[in-house]
Formats: sequence, C-alpha cells, structure tokens
Amino acid sequence: MNKKVYLFSTCVCSSAMPQTVINAIELLRLANVDVIYKKNQTCCSQPSYNSGYFEESKKIVLHNVALFEEDESLPIVVPAGSCAGMFSHDILELFKGDKEFERIKRFSERVYDLSQYLHKVCQVNYEDKGAPLTITWHTSCHAFRIQKCVDSQKALLSQFKNVTLAPLQYEEECCGFGGTFSIKEPEISNAIVSAKIDDIKHTGAKYVVAGDSACILNIQGALKRQNSDIQVVHLYDFLLDRIKGANAYV
Amino acid sequence: MSNSAKMPHEQIVKIKLNDKQMRENLRTAMHTLQKNRLNLVENKFNDWQGLRQRAKQAKNNAIQSLGERLVEFEKNATKNGIKVHWADTDVDACNIIYELIKKNNVTKILKGKSMASEEIGLNHFLQEKGVEAIESDLGELIIQLNHEPPVHIVVPAIHKNRYEVAQIFKDKLNAPYEEEIEKLNSIARTHLRDQFEGLKMGLSGVNFAMSKEGAFWLIENEGNGRMCTTAPDIHVALCGIEKVLETFEDAATMVHLLTPSATGQFIPTYNNIISGPRKNGDKDGPKEVHVVLFNHNRTNMLAHEDYHEALRCIRCGSCMNFCPVYDKIGGHAYQTIYPGPIGEVISPNLFGMDQNSDILSFCSLCGRCSEVCPVKIPLASLIRKLRANKVGQGENKAFGSDKLEHSKTEQIAFKLFVKAATSGGIWRFNISSAHTFNFVLKTFSHQLPVIKNWTKYKELPDIKGTLYDKLKNMEGVSYE
Repeated sequence: MNKKVYLFSTCVCSSAMPQTVINAIELLRLANVDVIYKKNQTCCSQPSYNSGYFEESKKIVLHNVALFEEDESLPIVVPAGSCAGMFSHDILELFKGDKEFERIKRFSERVYDLSQYLHKVCQVNYEDKGAPLTITWHTSCHAFRIQKCVDSQKALLSQFKNVTLAPLQYEEECCGFGGTFSIKEPEISNAIVSAKIDDIKHTGAKYVVAGDSACILNIQGALKRQNSDIQVVHLYDFLLDRIKGANAYV
Repeated sequence: MSNSAKMPHEQIVKIKLNDKQMRENLRTAMHTLQKNRLNLVENKFNDWQGLRQRAKQAKNNAIQSLGERLVEFEKNATKNGIKVHWADTDVDACNIIYELIKKNNVTKILKGKSMASEEIGLNHFLQEKGVEAIESDLGELIIQLNHEPPVHIVVPAIHKNRYEVAQIFKDKLNAPYEEEIEKLNSIARTHLRDQFEGLKMGLSGVNFAMSKEGAFWLIENEGNGRMCTTAPDIHVALCGIEKVLETFEDAATMVHLLTPSATGQFIPTYNNIISGPRKNGDKDGPKEVHVVLFNHNRTNMLAHEDYHEALRCIRCGSCMNFCPVYDKIGGHAYQTIYPGPIGEVISPNLFGMDQNSDILSFCSLCGRCSEVCPVKIPLASLIRKLRANKVGQGENKAFGSDKLEHSKTEQIAFKLFVKAATSGGIWRFNISSAHTFNFVLKTFSHQLPVIKNWTKYKELPDIKGTLYDKLKNMEGVSYE
C-alpha cells in the first residue's frame, strides 16, 4: 500500500515557483507516496515571526496546524528547509508557555523536509539519466542549522553519478536573503549576495543547485541584475530532470 | 558611552559599505580567523562540543548563584589582600577609579586591553578630569592614536592593514614609515617602553574571576597586560559582575575555549593569574591590587527569562568573526562599543533599547553565531526576541523599549498579512493573481517599500503558471 503524507508547499514556493511544488509532488509519487494537499494552507509565519510580530505569527501557525490535525498519523512534508525548520523547531519557542504548546509539539514532531523524507523514510535510489554536468551547491542556513537536512539533500544529489559537485569555498555563509532582512537592509543584503556570487563564479559552474526557494529568488535575482547567465536551480527540479533524463540543464 | 554623536542608521551603513579598503581588510581577516578556529577545533580537540556544554553549565551555575559567588569572591579576595570595590552604574565605576587616581596623585595610567573600560567610557571620563589613560595593547594603541573606537572586541584595529598602521605611526608618533610588521612592532615597543617607565598605576580588565580562590585570570598575547599588572605600584582591575565563576577548573574550561574561538590559537601567549599584591619578602609585583566589580544593568539581564543567557558571554568575538553582516559593515557601523551578534543582544540591554535597538536589523538570522558561540548563547533567537520588544511585544521588555516609537504602517502591514495568512480563500486568490513577484512580499508593498527595496539590486522572478489548477488534476493528489 502506498504511503501517504500532507504537503505544506510554503508561501514562496507556491507563489513564485509553482512548478517546483508540482515537481516535489512528482518525486513523492515516484516513491509511491500519495499526497494530501490542504487547499487552505498558507505560510509558516516566518515573515512576521522574524520581524518580532509574535502574536500575529501564532495566529498564522494555529490556522495551519488545524488543517493538518485531521489525521495525526500522517507526516507533514515541506519542500523548503527554512519553513520545515520553523514548523519542526522554532514554533516550540514561539509557543513556549502557551496553552497550545502540547498541540504545537505534536504537530512539530510530524514535520519533515522533503529531502529527509525521500532519503531517510522512502530510502529512494535514483538512476542518473542526465548528461555529465558540473554544478555547485548552495547550503541554506536554516536547512543546515535548524532543520538539519543538508546531509539528506547532499545524499540525494550524490546518487547522480554524472553530476560533479564543485563546492563553494565559503559554503556555510548566508546568501543575504534573511526574509525581511533583505528588505530592511537592502544594501547589506546586496553586499552579502555579491560575496556569494563571487564564490559561485569562482567554481566555474553554470548551475547552482539549492534546496530553499527563498535563497534561490535572492541569488538568482542578484545574478540576473549583475548580467550573469548562471542559473540557480531548485533541488527538486534538478532531481526530477536527472531522473527523467530531460536535460533541461546542460 | 555617550551616543550623542550618532549618525543616522542608513547613513553609516552606506559609508561603511563604500569603504572598500576596510571591507577587504575585514573579509581577509575574518576568513583567516574562521579558518584558524576550524583547524584547531577539528585537529586539536577530541570533544569540542562536550567542552562547550561544560562551559555553558559552569557559567550557568555561576550566574544562577551570582549573589553567593560575588560575596565569596569578595571574602576570599580580601583574604588575599585584594581590595574589592562595588559599582552599580558605569559612572560609579569611573568615579571609584578616579578616586584611586586622585588619592595616589597619579596623572597618567596605562591600560591593558579592557572592553569593560570602553563600556563605562573610562578614557573619556578621565580625560575630562585631566588624567591621561594610555592604551598599551597594540591594536588599542593604533586606534587610540587615530582617535577611533575599537572595531572589534578582541582585535580592535583589525580593519586597518599594515600600510595604514604605518601611516598612523608616522603621523602620530613621528616614526619612519615602515611597512614590515616586525618594524612596526618595534616602533610600538619603543613607544610603549617609554610609557611604562615610572608607571604608578596600571589598569586591566578581567577574563575570569574565581570566587573560591579570590583570584582572577587575565589572558593576553603581547606581554603588555603583564606589564600593566606587575610593573606599577597599583593595579586596578575592572570586572563586570558576570565574570565571576566558582572554581579554578571552571575558569580553565573557559580559557580552553576562549583563545581557539577568538584568534584560532590553542593557548594564549600569556596567562596571568592574579591572587593578590606583593607579599612580605616578594621582590616585585604591585603593592596594591584593586578589583572594581560593576553592574551597569547586568542584574536586569539576570532577571530576564531569556536575556540572562547572554551573560555567559566570554567576549571571544567568534560571533562577529563568523557574521555575514559584520565583515561587510565593520564594527563602527553599530555605533556602540559591542558590535556584531553579541553586541546586538547586549548593547540594547546594557545601554537601553532607545539607544541601540536600530542595530537589531543587522542580522539575517542565519544562525552561524549561535553555532560557533563557545558558551552556546542562542544569539539569533535572542535578537529575534529583542525585535519583538522593539515592536512592543513580549513580556518583561528590555529597558528603554517603552521609549521607542512604533511604526504604524508596519503594524498595519502585518495585520493585513495575518488576515490573508489565516484565510485560505484570500490567500489562494492573491497567489493566483500575482504574476510578477512572490505575493507575500507584494502583500506588504502597499504599506512598506518592499518591491522598491528589492528591485534596487535584484530582479523579480518570472512566474509561470499557477499552482492550484495543476494540483487539482494530479494523480495521487487529494486536493481538499
């Protein structure tokens, strides 16, 4: 029998990279997982939480938590480490001392980043149908330090034998997105992403693969503005392309 | 520290970002410090994480029993012949030191590196009273000659390269222009030896005080600290109350973590453990040792359910060495004596939110500071909590929060965001009708300059298709 999960598709991915949500679902389907998509889902609340609007954030979290309580045996899979980290870790801090804490804790324990779910639960084995290609990889801060799913993301990538990874020299440095940070301090954000771009160019790779759509918008937006043709590709778009041998990235 | 000369936030950020030489100096220096630390942690330590946990525990124990620790320190230090003084405010601490200066007819003191003395504004205070306070740490000397505050809490002149230092020595000390580091060191040494001659009073900070021993520990690399504490007749040590630990072993744990975290050195060049003045029969050492224990709002932090964690700080500077913002704008952009991630937490807590809360935006919440902090202070999370205080939320707000004005437009923007994010219908409608940009950012754009600030430096993404129609028709997907 197929496994079944809830998908939380995140606000940035749903609105700016809808095809990535579809591709994430396709990867789950290939692993024989059925997906329940709750249509009233919205956002993990990081825009308000990271700006200090805690009360507002609680309302947003509770709205979403309620949607996923129908079947508490099902995992909640998220195609972005940052939002997964918010739901699995940071909401425990947000609701510390709140009467809803136990409920929030139960919810948080069901949350996976999609890479962790594919790698550790489904234990997928991918065959590389793509042409040889050198890429570099961007580690997203919250995926790395909060959700701690970068190992799984890299484990998935390493299954593709025709893909060569040229690592960044300063891989663990932030790309300068930081949610509202990029809006409140646009000049500093630009300085940080420009340092990241220097590092990317240093590898010689034409593609940067990353697992968080927010970082992708940030790095890609700055690359385009700086007239670079380097492309930032979402991990799940990239995986599916290699599995299908579609060769969109050459 | 006086904030009267503060520049507007946006202006200082622009100036610092445009200082290409400073940014290049910091970029190189921070990457070197990062690399050195990592090499040590990986190759010289069997259990770095275990050591961090032990240090956190030792500091927590000391802070949770701080009253007891302080009384015990006073008792044992007094037994050792050290004179202990108590200061509640920054001005109290300055006054105690000034009284000692007056009593002993001193006109000039020499200082070992002390961030605590910067915090209480000691140099400025003494200058106004006609007393000269001369820095003897090389980095501190360079910036003192150039009339700048420290750019970093451990390496105060790290934003200057050797050519700039050569120019400062030439201009301020009438030294020949020398670009070789050894020669620059030699110029500083000659200058300082003259200053040490006939010295009556030396001032130092304290890295760790040990209550059971009634002694304190100072680490340094240049020997100037030992000169300041042993050559003069009187040694005055300035010590924040949170520096008091219980045992010698606790302090040793901290020292093991401090130098690798700070400069990537396994051990410091000098360990000075000071247990009292010269005893009968001793041929050297100071005749008097004074310790000034000062509070300056630390007890407010101690009483706070979250901010007390920042009192564990051992001032290693690792958080700023690894901060993606710090190396782009430098420490002076913070316009407070404690910059970087730890500065974002303690500066508003020590000087008041109304003075320093503008620096809370110098953080992308990447969390790297929390990852490298040797005493496991959850810096990113504390910065977020201070942001909540800044917008008027959270219980037991950091002091000075009530004096802040709140942006009505920002509040309205977040209210509208909540309205959309708690209604599936409004949310889907908005996402489906947004073809130019992430709708979440767009939502705020009616109130805040979100798109304008983004498009200054970054292109907007092209959005192809909408999510929901595709989802409804996918096999194996239950859209409900």
